[in-house]
Amino acid sequence: MSLIIDVKHVTKRYGDKIALTDVEFCLEKGAPVALVGPNGAGKTTLFSLLCGYIQPSSGSISVLGHAPGNSALFGRLSALPQDAQLDPRFSIATQLSFYARLQGMSSKRAKHDTARVLEMVALTDASNSQPSELSHGMRKRATIAQALLGSPEIVMLDEATAGLDPANAKEIRAIVSEQAGDVNFILSSHDLSELERLCDQVLYLEAGQLKQHRSANIDDSVRFITLRMKQDYPEIIATVLQLQGVNQVTMTQDKEYLLTVMNGQDNASIEMDLLLLLQKNNWLYAQLINGKTLENQLF
Amino acid sequence: MVRLFKTKRGLLSLLAFATIWFIILYYFISSAADIVNSNSFESMASDLFGALGLSSLLEWPVSEYAIYWLVAVYFFPMFALSVCSDQICSDKHRGTLRFLTLRSTRTEIILGRYLGQLFIIAVLIVMTALATAVLASIRDLSLLLASLQLGAKLSFEVIIVVMPFIALMTLLNTWVHSARFAIVAAVLFFSLGPLVIAFINYQFGQEFYLNLLFPGEQIESILSQSGVVASQYWLPLIQTLVLLFASNLVMKRASI
Repeated sequence: MSLIIDVKHVTKRYGDKIALTDVEFCLEKGAPVALVGPNGAGKTTLFSLLCGYIQPSSGSISVLGHAPGNSALFGRLSALPQDAQLDPRFSIATQLSFYARLQGMSSKRAKHDTARVLEMVALTDASNSQPSELSHGMRKRATIAQALLGSPEIVMLDEATAGLDPANAKEIRAIVSEQAGDVNFILSSHDLSELERLCDQVLYLEAGQLKQHRSANIDDSVRFITLRMKQDYPEIIATVLQLQGVNQVTMTQDKEYLLTVMNGQDNASIEMDLLLLLQKNNWLYAQLINGKTLENQLF
Repeated sequence: MVRLFKTKRGLLSLLAFATIWFIILYYFISSAADIVNSNSFESMASDLFGALGLSSLLEWPVSEYAIYWLVAVYFFPMFALSVCSDQICSDKHRGTLRFLTLRSTRTEIILGRYLGQLFIIAVLIVMTALATAVLASIRDLSLLLASLQLGAKLSFEVIIVVMPFIALMTLLNTWVHSARFAIVAAVLFFSLGPLVIAFINYQFGQEFYLNLLFPGEQIESILSQSGVVASQYWLPLIQTLVLLFASNLVMKRASI
């Protein structure tokens, strides 16, 4: 595995306010990485540092072996910065072609690549429209399209699906899933279920500090099953606890239960046993998840 | 160029420029020869231009250019301050600069925007000089060659004059977030700057030559066009280089 991002002891101050404190992590080539944290945790600051928009107060950052902002990263690193807008005075195709040409493409190839990325985000019909003529969601998709120009090795998407309707958000998630084999995505979002579906690794920031840097699929001696029910069943915890191999059942939120299961050969069919138990009691379940939800991992 | 010719704001600026220059060319420059050569005005003009140290302008074979020069050397720097007020600040404010910096260095952006603005202003300067040549040739076709030669020389001189003004706006653009604020900052620079320099000179009792920091400082000395003075070239060129270097320095450290 090759290292794509190496962040060492990075601190960022804005005057007296500390946005990031001694953040240290490294990311290797692979599945998408989720950047999670509450508002004001420092996610956008970290994104900005990785893209070279701002400089760290102390510490060092290496992206694909280069300092952020280095010309060696042009075309290799792309990003959707939060709230960044395209120029409202030019058509989106004109602007995307211009960006593609800045990445070193010929005029013909830039037009072709622009058409490709606009088709990916379902904006082919709006390619000659100016951003001011488009809806918020369409503008967002246009800015996502600029991040997909060329063949970037790392794509950072800050709140990519915020403000998109469910259908378009699903489309963007599908693009990320499709491209994840070739591109290293780093995603920030408040939609944990979205990140859960897309990402294997999680960076959790809180109050400017990196609280967790872990893979979502760590193989431990215990494993977890998350069970979501359609209705409340008062006796469910006691009943499920009687299943062989279930060590603990906790109610994580309304109609949601976390089962702690000891790893072992005897417990290989625990899901089947659980489903049979639910059927026997005529209990309707909504979802059965192998492992903890990202929400339960983090909070 | 695309911004100037393909955007509403750019076209409006061009329209305003064309209107102003139509008035200047039609009412002042085209009648310059008649006024300057008329017996009644000749003595008054000689006295007036002589008092201002501009009598050599009256000796030019193409009198239209005497008026053109006096107007252009003051008009274009002011025009540059206005037209070049949004080189990067709106892109910075909107976040568009973030897309650009993933594909080009900050130095390239600064230089690219500066050279783009300089090119536009240079094209406009050459166009007005050509229009003046056309007016002079309509009056007397034998003046065409002399007009073109003088027009080329004066265009070059005016372009040299405006270079540091555009660079000043580049520097201000690295600090501020709107074109309007950039213009306000430029106005404050030119209005309060001399007062600050006078105060510093008064406080320390000696001349620090800080006035050399101001674009256009050499205009008074070149106004008469009585001979080539080295400072008419090196001062604006050095100012331009210093301002662009400072812009690059600020831009490299700026948060965008």
